[in-house]
Amino acid sequence: MKKNIFTKLVSGASAAVLVAGALVGCSNTEAATSTEETATEQAAVEEATTETASTTEEKAGNYRTLDEIKESGVINIGVFSDKSPFGYVDENGEYQGYDVYLAERIGEDLGVEINYVSTEAASRIEYLQTGKVDIILANFTVTEERAEEVDFALPYMNVALGVVSHDDNVVTSLDDLTADDEVIVISGTTAETYLEKNYPDIKLQKYDAYAEAKTAFENRNGIAWANDNTEVIAFSIENEGYEVGIPSLGSADTIAPAVTKGNETLLSWLNEELVTLGQENFFHADYEATLLDTYGADYEDTLVVENTELP
Amino acid sequence: MQLMGIELLFKGTNFLRMLNGLWVAVRISLISVVLSIGLGLVVGALMTMQNKIIKAVMRVYLEIVRIMPQMVLLFIVYFGTTRVFGINIEAEVSAIIVFTFWGTAEMGDLVRGALISIPKHQYESSEALGLGKLQTYRYVILPQTLRRLIPLSINLITRMIKTTSLVMMIGIVEVLKVTQQIIEANRRTSPDAAFGMFATVFMMYFIVCWPISLLSKHLEKRWSDR
Amino acid sequence: MNWNVIREYIPLYVEALGLTVKIGWLGIIFSIALGLGCALVLYFKVPILQIIVKIYIELFRNTPLLVQLFFLYFGLPKLGIRITAQTCGILGLTLIGGSYMTETFRSGLSAIDDIQSESALSLGMKKYQVFFYIILPQAVSISIPGFMANIIFLLKETSVFSAISLMDLMFTAKDLIGLEYKTIEALFLLVIFYLIMLLPVSLLGTYIERRVRYAAYGD
Repeated sequence: MKKNIFTKLVSGASAAVLVAGALVGCSNTEAATSTEETATEQAAVEEATTETASTTEEKAGNYRTLDEIKESGVINIGVFSDKSPFGYVDENGEYQGYDVYLAERIGEDLGVEINYVSTEAASRIEYLQTGKVDIILANFTVTEERAEEVDFALPYMNVALGVVSHDDNVVTSLDDLTADDEVIVISGTTAETYLEKNYPDIKLQKYDAYAEAKTAFENRNGIAWANDNTEVIAFSIENEGYEVGIPSLGSADTIAPAVTKGNETLLSWLNEELVTLGQENFFHADYEATLLDTYGADYEDTLVVENTELP
Repeated sequence: MQLMGIELLFKGTNFLRMLNGLWVAVRISLISVVLSIGLGLVVGALMTMQNKIIKAVMRVYLEIVRIMPQMVLLFIVYFGTTRVFGINIEAEVSAIIVFTFWGTAEMGDLVRGALISIPKHQYESSEALGLGKLQTYRYVILPQTLRRLIPLSINLITRMIKTTSLVMMIGIVEVLKVTQQIIEANRRTSPDAAFGMFATVFMMYFIVCWPISLLSKHLEKRWSDR
Repeated sequence: MNWNVIREYIPLYVEALGLTVKIGWLGIIFSIALGLGCALVLYFKVPILQIIVKIYIELFRNTPLLVQLFFLYFGLPKLGIRITAQTCGILGLTLIGGSYMTETFRSGLSAIDDIQSESALSLGMKKYQVFFYIILPQAVSISIPGFMANIIFLLKETSVFSAISLMDLMFTAKDLIGLEYKTIEALFLLVIFYLIMLLPVSLLGTYIERRVRYAAYGD
């Protein structure tokens, strides 16, 4: 009985090979060997997608030089799409915010179109190192560790860390937290690094995206939310029922545009651009256009950085 | 407040953007399915071959697809390949590569199953009726094979559409990401939007996938030989 | 690839594997229970409940787990229903798994020929005896390959838990990429640990499938 089935299978299979042969014969666009399979697959895929917007293959370093960007007519800028009021998308699908205001100006002065790439905090370095974007303008805090991986231009904003909590249970010191309290952070932010290093006992609840972290915080899945103080202050002002118990934590840092390590031409252009912008008090105008509604005028001078000379 | 975020659908171009996001997901799966069917026919034929090396390669390929989560494959293709080979692959292309890699294995296995499930006596009877080899395949074997494959490939489409929700994780702005952006932009005025908005996405996926899986079930029933 | 980095990361992945396995298997056990229950409701055509089960199955089989989790974890608290990430993970896996298990089990039950229960009844067996001694054992054994496929599917689906802050394997890899930029090492370990978790299950599945096939078609 078993043998019977076996012979049946074998004969069926060999017949099937013939059928397959016929099928392959019919569609000679397909290559048949398995080693070639992935290659053809890739080729087919690349043909199939009509939207191949500048897939570049660099030999040394995954970046495009200033000239290459200008030539292509498009610059890829990585921004947040869910970190209001710094980088977000409005109800008409337009990118808005403090970072985006700068991005728009950069595009204008370079004379190129901007292709915004929505990024999460943890992907920012990855996006630069793999050449998926030319510039990161996603509220990127300058740190030593990051500076080893990417090149930062001159700063355009001041920042420290802050912790916001619900106003009926305000956390004013991280030492007061009990073992059960979980603090919400966003994966890949300076707040995460700082707490991991300095408060290894605090239980962290980590999210990929700002939108997720904030909703989880609203839902009280964590006792507090640690992030850039600019962002938590904005959150507590914009939404009711929250209080920033720890307005400043860690060192005073700055936020700057970043490019892929070694992309000298783009970096020096950016630095010159930032100095030019500093001379016209561009970031004060940026603040007034994008942040004034949230913060009022009080924070303008502490938050904004204008550059007057090259590094 | 009591609308739980439904009101945001009618604000600006929000709803249109969500539909657009859904289309991104559906488009990725459609392209992948078409590629998978083509490549799957080849791979399925290879799987029925007796060559030991081909068999081993196919076995490993199937096993990888069977146990690696699609998300892991997405990360490897999107982030890993650039690191190792210095090739920059766009997010959407990465997604199509991964989905095709997966779909080809599944289609291949289905093709293999369909090919070997045709009983031997059919070949013999065709021969007895005086049909040539090619005629046998053209008029007897192929129609049956396709009949078995079509419902299953339609089913694969729905599973791919569902899996496209993962592409958000490699930075593709699809319906879930658009939804998060809308929730974020309206946090102040609609703090409870997460409920209505995610419920909407849930229903959107359902409305797309349900008819397709009904169709697949219907065809399967109608065309089953029993 | 830096092996010192890998050695340093291994404990983190072991911990994540523990969580993934725990949530994964809890979800699987619950979904088998839920699937059995729902399949019985469908088999005995329990009024009203039957309709609810049908709607539930269609809803959860035709939507992605990630969207379900977002709704459960971020949406439901807006109605005042708050659950922890772990509970949400288990609940989500149970709901989607239950719908798949029901389908598998239902088709197992419907594969048993009516003649069997008719003959058993005519032999004087009671209805419940027929079900528990004749129908159920056969249905379960027919369903086993499907169950195994579902189990592998569910264990793979755990990779989306990272979206609701559960520190599973996927999250650990993403977090290390974001924190220390060691992409290759993080992805390498991710693949290794999924292999450790799923390869045995997959091989067992293939083995069982063969055994069951012989049980059905052998002599």
